Amino acid sequence: MSVLARAFDKGFVRSIPKSVSFYSVNTERIQEEEFRVLNLKSTRSQNIHAKKKGYKQNVLPPRTAQMPVDQDWGSVWPGPRTFHPATVPLPIRQGYRDKGAAPDKYANAELMKIPNFLHLTPPVVKRQCEALKKFCTPWPKALDTDEKCEKHFPIEVTFSNYCHSSPTIRDPLARIVTLKIKLSTLKLDEHARDKFRRLVGDRYDEETDTFTIVTDRCPTKKQNYEYAMYLLTAVYHESWEVEPWEKLKSDADMEAYDWNNSKSKQTIEELFKKEAKDVDNINEYISAINSLMNKGETKDTIHNYGLAVRKLLNLPVEAT
Amino acid sequence: MKSVFSILNPRYHTAEEKIDIPNRIQRGPTDILRALESTVKTDLTAAHYKYHDDPFLIPMSNVGKRTFAMAQESGRKAAHWVRAQHPELFQHNAADPPIQMFFPKIVYNKDGDISEDNLKAAIKAVLVNDAIEIYKLCKEKGVEISPETMISFLEALCYNNGDEPLPEEFIEERWFRQSTKGKEKKRKTWKDGALAEEIFISINNPDEIAYSALIQGMSKYYQSDRAWQLFQEAQEKGIALNIETYNSLIRVSNFLKENYDLRWTFIVDLLTLAAKAKLKPNLRTLNAVLESLSLMGTSKNTKNLTLQTLSEFKKIGVEPALSSWYYVLNTFCKERGPVSWVLEDILVEIENKEHKIQDLIDTFFFVTAMDVCRNHLHDKELAKRVNKLLHHGSNYDLIGDSFKESIYYRHYFILLCQTEPLDTFMEEIYFKLVPHIYVPEPSVMGEILDSIEINTAIEYVPRIWSDMTIFDHTDREKLISSILNIMVNNHPEDKPDLVEKFGIIAWDIFTKIENQNEHRTQPVMFTGVMLGNILTLLLRNQDFEKATEIVEKLDADHQKVVGVPGIEPLKMYLDYCIRENAPSKAIVCIQYCAESGFQEAENMAKRLHSEMTLDETHLEKLSKIVGNFFIEQSLKKNENTT
Repeated sequence: MSVLARAFDKGFVRSIPKSVSFYSVNTERIQEEEFRVLNLKSTRSQNIHAKKKGYKQNVLPPRTAQMPVDQDWGSVWPGPRTFHPATVPLPIRQGYRDKGAAPDKYANAELMKIPNFLHLTPPVVKRQCEALKKFCTPWPKALDTDEKCEKHFPIEVTFSNYCHSSPTIRDPLARIVTLKIKLSTLKLDEHARDKFRRLVGDRYDEETDTFTIVTDRCPTKKQNYEYAMYLLTAVYHESWEVEPWEKLKSDADMEAYDWNNSKSKQTIEELFKKEAKDVDNINEYISAINSLMNKGETKDTIHNYGLAVRKLLNLPVEAT
Repeated sequence: MKSVFSILNPRYHTAEEKIDIPNRIQRGPTDILRALESTVKTDLTAAHYKYHDDPFLIPMSNVGKRTFAMAQESGRKAAHWVRAQHPELFQHNAADPPIQMFFPKIVYNKDGDISEDNLKAAIKAVLVNDAIEIYKLCKEKGVEISPETMISFLEALCYNNGDEPLPEEFIEERWFRQSTKGKEKKRKTWKDGALAEEIFISINNPDEIAYSALIQGMSKYYQSDRAWQLFQEAQEKGIALNIETYNSLIRVSNFLKENYDLRWTFIVDLLTLAAKAKLKPNLRTLNAVLESLSLMGTSKNTKNLTLQTLSEFKKIGVEPALSSWYYVLNTFCKERGPVSWVLEDILVEIENKEHKIQDLIDTFFFVTAMDVCRNHLHDKELAKRVNKLLHHGSNYDLIGDSFKESIYYRHYFILLCQTEPLDTFMEEIYFKLVPHIYVPEPSVMGEILDSIEINTAIEYVPRIWSDMTIFDHTDREKLISSILNIMVNNHPEDKPDLVEKFGIIAWDIFTKIENQNEHRTQPVMFTGVMLGNILTLLLRNQDFEKATEIVEKLDADHQKVVGVPGIEPLKMYLDYCIRENAPSKAIVCIQYCAESGFQEAENMAKRLHSEMTLDETHLEKLSKIVGNFFIEQSLKKNENTT
């Protein structure tokens, strides 16, 4: 009996839908041949479009539930990745709510927005360094201090490499090369040094005595490096050249006031009728006028200058 | 650099100390990545990295794994299709250095220039169809092709039988393809009179390479007779063939010779010929001989010959690979033959070593070894050793494909489930490998359930049930009745939480079967016993409401439900009805009992009557079910009271 019932049931289910679909196709065709009617008051028959039963998916519980306490986190989260609540077994909260606690980790966009460093926990960093050690060479023993490094390797070249997830491995920024050198490490005399500084302009930083070249005009890093080296060499040799017109340099062109070549010295010698160095109190006067001319007129320099002149000319010191 | 140092201040480059700068350690482009990768171990809680790590997107059943991966692959294929349809859209070069795979496929036609180089490139990239196209165009246009290119073209055709092989980038398709290659019924697939043979004929005075290529191609695709003819022809002409040709002929010896003895003489003859030609046998020769031997029945002689072959090849310095051991296992551990422990000796040879693939058949070793462990020897220690070897180094690469992997684990699970203590099995194997490494098939689940029943380890039932729902095993009638039986027969009286869980599982089973898709070809049908068990479990969990639904279901679908439940659950239900003071429900139950032909219906009715005060309508119903004497009784009762 039961078997019979089952067999009948199957046959029933199979045969019905076919005949139904056959009919429905036919009626549609007939309808197409007639005039189409604009049905303004259409009432949907609910039987035909019976609501489909929602399919409920079986979802695994978050795998944080299975994770043992002593698991190796570096294997669970091996690389940089957007935060995922089902993988991170921490009760993290992020964000703000007017009332109540901050939202928890599930469906929390705030946690997904911020970059995380879950892949770079201290043990992982240690482990990765250990693995990369075999590619590293030891630091030269002779170079134990910064001074020695600077002494033996005065030129510092900086460039950047970029790593992308894209079909191309090139990055336009990777071509830029920066070359730095301390001016004191170059073999320069007074004139050459002056000319060098005039040639490089604001590429020289007086505070650190560093000269910097940034090259980016060539398409590759190698070319830019070679170009920077060329520039350094060229500017160096150029600063040693003395052009004929350089002799035309006048006092006004001097970069700094030098009393020894000044009108002031001549006047003093005329006044005292002897060599300037033999004049009493001359040194004080020289430093005072030098600082006045080079540093500019400030209250101090003018005051000092006044004192020096009075001393030089044996005038009474004004009571202040 | 010299010029730069000459410009430095002299006090800066007087190197009084010598500075040794070590040389850079040379490394390949991926060495750093590999070093970093070596710090990452497998995470057993995670799905394979090809799937998204999200509970909603991690496939959980075998079907799901396959579907998800193949859907990805199909997307890849769609992209290929678009590229083939619209090559004009892919003329830009996004990558630098350029990536060949990104460029649209080259289409060869009559208008374009065709040269021998095109043919060479196509052969090198194993684009067989393209190569054939180019060859035809060359012929039409009268482009001269050098003999060397013709030979390599012939080789490409023979190797692939003139078909395009599956492109290498479709990894998932390879992994999930139900490949039985090597085990499938061997039959002739060589294309007779196809282009390969045409080219062979067109070559004037074919040399040894041409002969070798064609003979190998024919024997690879089991056109053994003609391969043998060609071989003899070459011998007559005095052409020296290479060792691979001999190997391929040995491989098809069972097609050429029927009788085992004749076959062995044939192999020996071929090997003697090879020796005469001063050819050195290699691993593939060994494999070919062992393969032929594995097809030569179960006689003792075959086994002796196998051992002799192994030792002889060892003498000349040919070490057997995993594939050789696979053939040895096939020879020694036949289904109907005597039990052989050769696997133990093999393991001694190969244990604790990392194996590299040397032959396609290498991938058959692990699955066969595990099969032998389970079906032939039934030895868990050996199985563990095989498993250890599989996880040694990068040996897991040799598991083959998804099909072999799941068969391997099926054997492993069933064997350990039967031999290990259940707790150890669950802790060490099941919880670790399921579901991400392996999803047990229904048969394996059945074994595990049996084991749980034997050990009365009911605490695992909730986990097993949740796994079963996830793995889509809920449509297996056998498994469902088995799990229900376990839950009913082992009443955890002292563990109220388990009782509750069992009740929930029972209701889950009921709703699953109730709501299954009507259009299924083989829907699960309720049986009376099943519903009885569900009823028992629900009542144990004191869930009267749901129990009532079950009884209503029993009553309503009396025709559909196969068989009847035992009387015990129904009696239990009646007790509950009395306790809950629900006479109409009790009457439904009694009616069902009476209709199902239970003798106890009358007693139940009496009990109901004695323990509860029933009103007129109820009494009337009861009397309809079990006869009139109730009314009389009740009348008497009434009289007594008045």
